Amino acid sequence: MDSIRIDFAPQTGTADEWNEAYARLSDYFRAHRLHSRVHRTYLILETLKRASETHARHPNVSPTEVAIHEARRMQRAWLRNIIGDLNIPEGRLDASGRMAFLLSGGPSTYPEYFLAADSPPQEMVDAMRQPIIQSGPDLAFSSMVPRPIDLGPISDIAEDAGGFFDRHPLLRYALLASLSALVLWGVYTVTR
Amino acid sequence: MTSQSSPATPSKRFSQASIRRRRATFFTAVLITLIAGLWLMGHSLGRNGLNGLEIAMLAVFTPLFYQLSTGFWTAIIGLAVSRKSDPLNLLNTLSDEDKAAPLSASTAIIMPVYNEDVSRIFEGLRVIYQSLQQEGQLPHFDFFVLSDSDNPNKWVEEELAWLELCRQLDGFGRIFYRKRRKPINRKSGNVSDFCRRWGKRYRYMVVLDADSIMSGSLLTNMVRIMEKHPAAGIIQTAPRVFGAETLFGRVMQFAHAAYGEPFMAGLNYLSMGNATFWGHNAIIRLKPFIEDCALPELPGREPFGGHILSHDFVESALMQKAGHQVWLLPVDEGSYEEGPPTLLDTLKRDRRWCQGNMQHFWLLFARGWNALARLNFFHGILSYVASPLWFAFLILATILAAMPGPSSLAIDKGFSSGLVLLFLTLGLLFVPKLLLLIRQLSRKDLARHFHSRRALLSSVLLDTIFFSILAPILMVFHSKFVIFTLLGKGVRWAEQRRKADGAVDWQESIVTFTGITIMAALWGLIAFWCSPTFAAWISPVLIGIGLAIPFSIFTAGLPSGRRRGWFSTLEELHPPPVIGELQHHLSKAHQRSDPSPALARNYGLMQAILDPFVNALHVSLLRQRQRLTPESRDYLDRLRKRLIREGPQSLNKRELSALMYDPDVMIRLHYDLWSAPAGDLAPWWDSAIRQYNILTREPVTALYR
Repeated sequence: MDSIRIDFAPQTGTADEWNEAYARLSDYFRAHRLHSRVHRTYLILETLKRASETHARHPNVSPTEVAIHEARRMQRAWLRNIIGDLNIPEGRLDASGRMAFLLSGGPSTYPEYFLAADSPPQEMVDAMRQPIIQSGPDLAFSSMVPRPIDLGPISDIAEDAGGFFDRHPLLRYALLASLSALVLWGVYTVTR
Repeated sequence: MTSQSSPATPSKRFSQASIRRRRATFFTAVLITLIAGLWLMGHSLGRNGLNGLEIAMLAVFTPLFYQLSTGFWTAIIGLAVSRKSDPLNLLNTLSDEDKAAPLSASTAIIMPVYNEDVSRIFEGLRVIYQSLQQEGQLPHFDFFVLSDSDNPNKWVEEELAWLELCRQLDGFGRIFYRKRRKPINRKSGNVSDFCRRWGKRYRYMVVLDADSIMSGSLLTNMVRIMEKHPAAGIIQTAPRVFGAETLFGRVMQFAHAAYGEPFMAGLNYLSMGNATFWGHNAIIRLKPFIEDCALPELPGREPFGGHILSHDFVESALMQKAGHQVWLLPVDEGSYEEGPPTLLDTLKRDRRWCQGNMQHFWLLFARGWNALARLNFFHGILSYVASPLWFAFLILATILAAMPGPSSLAIDKGFSSGLVLLFLTLGLLFVPKLLLLIRQLSRKDLARHFHSRRALLSSVLLDTIFFSILAPILMVFHSKFVIFTLLGKGVRWAEQRRKADGAVDWQESIVTFTGITIMAALWGLIAFWCSPTFAAWISPVLIGIGLAIPFSIFTAGLPSGRRRGWFSTLEELHPPPVIGELQHHLSKAHQRSDPSPALARNYGLMQAILDPFVNALHVSLLRQRQRLTPESRDYLDRLRKRLIREGPQSLNKRELSALMYDPDVMIRLHYDLWSAPAGDLAPWWDSAIRQYNILTREPVTALYR
């Protein structure tokens, strides 16, 4: 059997740490709906390779963190090529790009072009560059001001009484007790 | 439209004279019946002169008998009217040319939602959308889901479902989603918020509830009616009930199908252009609604003051005050809604409605309403106040029975007025039902509507027993609601718990109804001690109350007589396309596997942070925040770190919301979580990352992946 050459030999970090980074990258790319294992593995190895170089310069950072950071860097570079001229704020580039990739049908139709160095097909680029999403139409403001309702004299009296009894809770309970006594007296009177 | 202007009625058949004639007929009949009832009651009670107790009974009896007479004559007149095509039904005013004419008006279909079943919301929208598409009228309608959901799981689920629905129907730019940050003034505030932002873009607005469905054909016709009748400000359809699974729900659904139509026709006969609005399945002319129907706060505190809870009645009255008409549209197809599945759910809903209707007490005396609007307020209040009145009537009757001497209620002594009153009351209760049954039995398409003649007869018999038990239970609870509302107190409920198979946990029913069961038993003993005859007289009520626990448990179950054809309705036997398609989609949606219990509680948050696309969607739908103060930034940073290290259970709902409303924090959290080594993550997140790709499968239905 011919011997094989494995082109991944990080100078820093332990095997366990790089295995954890591998597993995390696998989960991360799978969360992007990249269901092809072959394509995913290729992306993972490429990312790990870059991450190992970065990790050699920053050995105190965990390989997992470096790997995801590399993945993000690759993603931003890839997105910048496609939608970088659309005046999207820098902080929103990743989120807008991910959304654009999903809405263009990327995960199902063009998964092999995700983060690929090859130029993506024009239809995919066009689809990704369309206005992202519109959750509401253009605003057309109206003034909707409540019209006061004249509740009439009974409400005025009730409101005044309510305010009075709110300020004097003892009187409120006294009135309630008096009314109860009156009802009991009435029942007694008619039933005796 | 300026306030107080009175748009001309469009047709001679809507002349004031014909409307006055109808109302005069109705109220004369009600008044004669009421006078007859009062005379009989007075005669029965006052054989030896009326004492104070008997006067009190008569006073309580009056509104109760008024309510009974109103219901009776609504049904009888409705029966008479609905035998032939009612010329004053607005749908009958559309000519063939009207129906063929292209629509020129733009209409917004809005659905305010609050923590509802997300599949049901969006699958409902899907069938309405597709129904309009089949009608060829889609370009004239836009759809808005207006969310006040404060449950993060529901919030994220709604966002996802909206996106999926738009993708599948190519509905971007036609189906919109709006999430309010602060749910001010609940549903009415949500609708007003829509009106302020986008109301000017549309001539009409159709308001739907989360469980509403309307067909494209009816929606199109409603717009045409509005176009033809510029005086109409609101047209309220009478939705048919569908989708019940439990015995309780199916009986209510059957009763609505078997008896509802003539009641609606009768109500339309009475109200004409002064009907009321029920808050959903209705079309509204937006300009006058925006100009004249914004709700003010009521003076004072809750329960009577503050925000108007039952806003629909008030909006209807305001629309009429501004010179527009509000119509009821009795239709037998095209407008649907779902009902509460159990007695407990019904009571919880009634608790809210009761407080809202009681608030209308102040509006009853407000200036500027027309008589019918005032009457609608009165009927709304009476629908709940009737319960404590009935309760008081029974207590007074018990006191009267306990008094020494011949009882005024002695109907067994050969005196006729009490007996006549009893038969009159029974007649008012059951004659409409009997006539409706005869009418349904004579239908040529009976099997299509009610399965079979035998099933219909059995269903009517069984629902009579059902409602005989239900009515006294509702009486006690509505009395409690009214009294608690007056005292400004809330009503506590036991937590509703459902078992895995959908059956109701007995505990909730037992806890809720034990008190009234004991009350019924004691009352029965007192009644028997007073007089066995009186005990027999009051026993139907006390038996109903005493059976509350088994009734609640039994009727909440899934065995509902469906196999025997009992309580069948047209919508069950031959679902119209919109319902059939909805049920098909929902059955698929409900096949999806639920997340593990450990993750389920914060599943929405987990998706919004972990999933690259859900995170992107959530962030895209958030408004860019203005620059935060350093204190706010520090606060959010602390929360973010705690969320990662200790998991979502370490944060309360408010703290989680604060994080979820900040786009920068959500983007940061996405990368922080994916890049954190397992040792730096809370075990909950570690488990979430490992399980997430297993949980999220390919779509099993249109909406979910």
